[in-house]
Amino acid sequence: MNRKLAPLVATLTALAMVSAAGCSGSDDDPGSGTTGGKVELTYWSWAPNMDKVAAAWNAANPDIQVTVNKQDGGDPAVTKLLTAIKAGSGAPDIMQAEYQKIPTLVSADAIADIATEVGSLKDKFPESAWNGVTLGSEAVYGVPQDSGPLLFYYRADVFDRLKITPPKTWDEYAEAARKIRRANPKQHLGTFSATDPGWFAGLAQQAGASWWGVNGQSWTVAIDDEATRKVAGYWGGLVQEGVIDNKPMYTPEWNAALNDGTQVGWVSAVWGPGVLEGNAKDTKGKWKVAPLPQWDAARPATGNWGGSATSVTTQSKHKKQAAKFIAWLNSDPAALKLLVSDVNVYPSAKEATSTALTSPPAFFANQADFYQIAEEASKIANPFTYGPNVNVTYSAYSDAFAKAAEARNAAAFTAALSTMQKTTVDDMKNVGFTVTG
Amino acid sequence: MTLLSPTPRSTVGASPAALAARATPRSRRVGVPYTFLAPALILFTLFLAAPIGYAAYLSLRRVRVTGLGLGAKSRVEQWAGLSNYARSLSDPEFLPSVWRVAAYGMIVVPTMLGVALLMALLLDAGRSRVGGFARISIFLPYAVPAVVASLLWGFLYLPRVSPITDLLAAMSIPAPEMLSSSWVLWAVANIAVWGGTGFNMIVLYTALRAIPTEIKEAARIDGASDIAVAWRIKIPILLPSLVMTFVFSLIATLQVFAEPMTLRPLSNTISTTWTPLMKVYRDAFTRNDIYSAAATSVVLAVATFVLSYGFLKLVGRRAFNQED
Amino acid sequence: MSLVTATVPAPVEATRRPRRQRHSAAATVLLLLGAAYCLLPVLWVLVASSKSAAELFSTFTFAPSTHLWDNVVQLSGYRDGLFWRWMGNTALYAGVGAFASTLISAMAGFALAKYTFPGKNLIFNLILAGVLVPGVILAIPQYLLLAKVEMTNTYWAVLLPSMISPYGIYLCRIFAAAAVPGEILESARVDGAGDWRTFGQVALPMMRTGLVTVFLFQFVAIWNNFMLPYIMLGDDRLYPITVGLNGLLNQGASQPAMYTSVVTGALLSIVPLVLLFLSLQRYWQVDLAAGAVKA
Repeated sequence: MNRKLAPLVATLTALAMVSAAGCSGSDDDPGSGTTGGKVELTYWSWAPNMDKVAAAWNAANPDIQVTVNKQDGGDPAVTKLLTAIKAGSGAPDIMQAEYQKIPTLVSADAIADIATEVGSLKDKFPESAWNGVTLGSEAVYGVPQDSGPLLFYYRADVFDRLKITPPKTWDEYAEAARKIRRANPKQHLGTFSATDPGWFAGLAQQAGASWWGVNGQSWTVAIDDEATRKVAGYWGGLVQEGVIDNKPMYTPEWNAALNDGTQVGWVSAVWGPGVLEGNAKDTKGKWKVAPLPQWDAARPATGNWGGSATSVTTQSKHKKQAAKFIAWLNSDPAALKLLVSDVNVYPSAKEATSTALTSPPAFFANQADFYQIAEEASKIANPFTYGPNVNVTYSAYSDAFAKAAEARNAAAFTAALSTMQKTTVDDMKNVGFTVTG
Repeated sequence: MTLLSPTPRSTVGASPAALAARATPRSRRVGVPYTFLAPALILFTLFLAAPIGYAAYLSLRRVRVTGLGLGAKSRVEQWAGLSNYARSLSDPEFLPSVWRVAAYGMIVVPTMLGVALLMALLLDAGRSRVGGFARISIFLPYAVPAVVASLLWGFLYLPRVSPITDLLAAMSIPAPEMLSSSWVLWAVANIAVWGGTGFNMIVLYTALRAIPTEIKEAARIDGASDIAVAWRIKIPILLPSLVMTFVFSLIATLQVFAEPMTLRPLSNTISTTWTPLMKVYRDAFTRNDIYSAAATSVVLAVATFVLSYGFLKLVGRRAFNQED
Repeated sequence: MSLVTATVPAPVEATRRPRRQRHSAAATVLLLLGAAYCLLPVLWVLVASSKSAAELFSTFTFAPSTHLWDNVVQLSGYRDGLFWRWMGNTALYAGVGAFASTLISAMAGFALAKYTFPGKNLIFNLILAGVLVPGVILAIPQYLLLAKVEMTNTYWAVLLPSMISPYGIYLCRIFAAAAVPGEILESARVDGAGDWRTFGQVALPMMRTGLVTVFLFQFVAIWNNFMLPYIMLGDDRLYPITVGLNGLLNQGASQPAMYTSVVTGALLSIVPLVLLFLSLQRYWQVDLAAGAVKA
């Protein structure tokens, strides 16, 4: 508990162990800076059951013991980490970090470059995931853990009854939405959620947007670009027309709609089955998954919603050991298996598909090719760069699109983008970032 | 802070002048009251005064980054003058949030105190057998944390899961959508009234019980009705309590935070800057800009002080002098 | 510049109210309306926590079901009974914090009410101004300061800041002024009792009734304080119940919100507080009017 005493206790324990001569003899990394004794690492993660994966590591590595502190989710964890960084103490050694938060964390000097410690892992991950942790530089700010390629979930029973095939394009999606409304005015194919900026960013990513970019020594911001305007206009049109709901996701009301079958489809990510199972267990067997509808069926693409990497914080005194653990966690076949079975994530590592993702998630037992569809999707994710103030942009999204959705006005949807763009650029300039374009 | 720090316990007899000035032998040992106050003062200094001072300091600071801001040394803290205040006050969302809270306060404070007073008077009049039950029931919400209370009411507000909607629908009355833009202020106010009425009722009821029975009885024997007794005798005696419950309710109102914060993800109508304190939260926690948050906080604390102090000045202090 | 100098009227001597008045139907109806309004959401939690996850979102809201025990078992199973640890933590934070706070407030209030000394009004007004600063604002500076002594993410990080209560000191000053007559203190002194003995053996018992109130206030305030533990604690085994339940509710987009567990947890968390209130509230009610000796 007292971190001041921790190194002392660790050293004493180590001495005791060495003098007991029973040296564990495990392949401890030579020259790690410490005396080769036991190292205790704390790990902040909000993924459920991550402590079980850590337990598997701890059993095999008595010299590097990892304690998981379960967090409440990505945003609170980042808030706490940034506060601890500002305070100069209190941060964990290892941190789960969503891809969109990595530039923020790097900019705040919260997560460390572990390029030398972690070695060559680049080939084990898809390029898009690896870019997420390098930010296009030589540095490595973490190891990718999981990805969230967007997919389309739908109620197969309702689609069959109305003789609708899963939409291949967004035009077909709109058509399907209208058909469903006509058949039953209480049903919706989907909702536009103003409380989920990550979801909208993924849709913009699919359309070809990249909200930030690095141009030499300055940032570019392109939130109000053509691709994103296309997406906003499309959803604004559907909301204005009334064929898509305008209420946020993840509310009790939304849960009720999933349960009573009035929410017929869900544009979500590969982790969707866990949410559906938790919220509407009784609808098991009625859902199916399909690739995300396309803007251009000839050039299929998708975006990401969620997904995270595992990083080492700048306050960690054991970067080498921490890096060793996170490399194992995210690329070792045994760990990948646990990540899939216990933690319920879709690992980024290429190897996962052949070793860990062999059978569909339990909630989608009726769809044997679930992970094939997911793998196809993860290959076609468009490149997307996040900026150092994603949170500013995301809260601007919530405010601006909430107003637009409440007003059910398509023009307000595209206008909301210019609010987001202006808020983002103003904030960056105010803090001193060099911004062009 | 030296003035506040505990002084060493002095021995018998302070200066003769002090003794002369104060005939009470209490002031024999000057150090004693300070030792009684010491724990409170130390904790106050550490956990209230110092953080407040620190916040005030932060409100004058800012962070500047250079270039891409990605290197370890690209971020420096520097003096900002009053620029955080300028930005905070000129934020287009700031004034609307202030007016919103003003409107909210005008709903909450009179309703809550009105109901609390009514209930306290009814209890005190002792004209009903359900008094004990009602007193406990009305006080009960005080035991429910605001976060939990907002969650419960959130369920009751959402049309699809609300029993109220079901009931009204059964009577074919169109139910108001409580979280729509026209009702949301009332929805939040209702949670505050629900949670706060019981506490204020108890304060007022306690004050009513302290009124000597002879006074009440005398009026009643004179033939005055319950309402007349309440109006002419009880309420005037209650005034100091009413003033203080008013001031504390006012302060709580200006600090409204947990209720809209919990309801926010349930609707499109509560923005991240819906109240000034939510703006503070957004700046500090979501935007990682503790400096602007500190500036807004200072403005809020000063405004709260001016309002509550101004109010107390306005109503006068003649009724408030119990000790000395 | 005295900000405030008094309120909550002094307790006066006990007088049992004569219960010989007529009953009024209007009064009964009004009181029942008030009670119904306050009980409705509580009743809802009771019913909702008896439902399975599917029923919670599909059956009529006030139709009870039979899954209360299942829900309790499920909640207890979450991360090896973490919920019960949260309950224990809350009891610790609120119980110990409120007790310490009450004692500290009593000492301060007694000094402010019964002694004359330089800086008295300044100190009182400074402390009172603390009421004006909301917890949200204090949380981050408090964290930054506690981090300097490496005390964040410990029980102390929540306990210590909870021990100072401007409101409690304010109330104690009033209670001490009203309930402890100067003459009695004088006679204690004449008998040779020191200041501390006088405080402990004469003043404290006289203030007892008010102190229960202060304890209750502070207990609820700590129970309610969300921001402080939320920001101070990184280890969920140290969480109080509010932060823990909030975590179950907002697990991020890729996790389902555990509504049944949250609702059941909300119910279970209210129960001990209600019991505490039922016992203490009566005590407080009766005693505030009965226990004091008129000055």
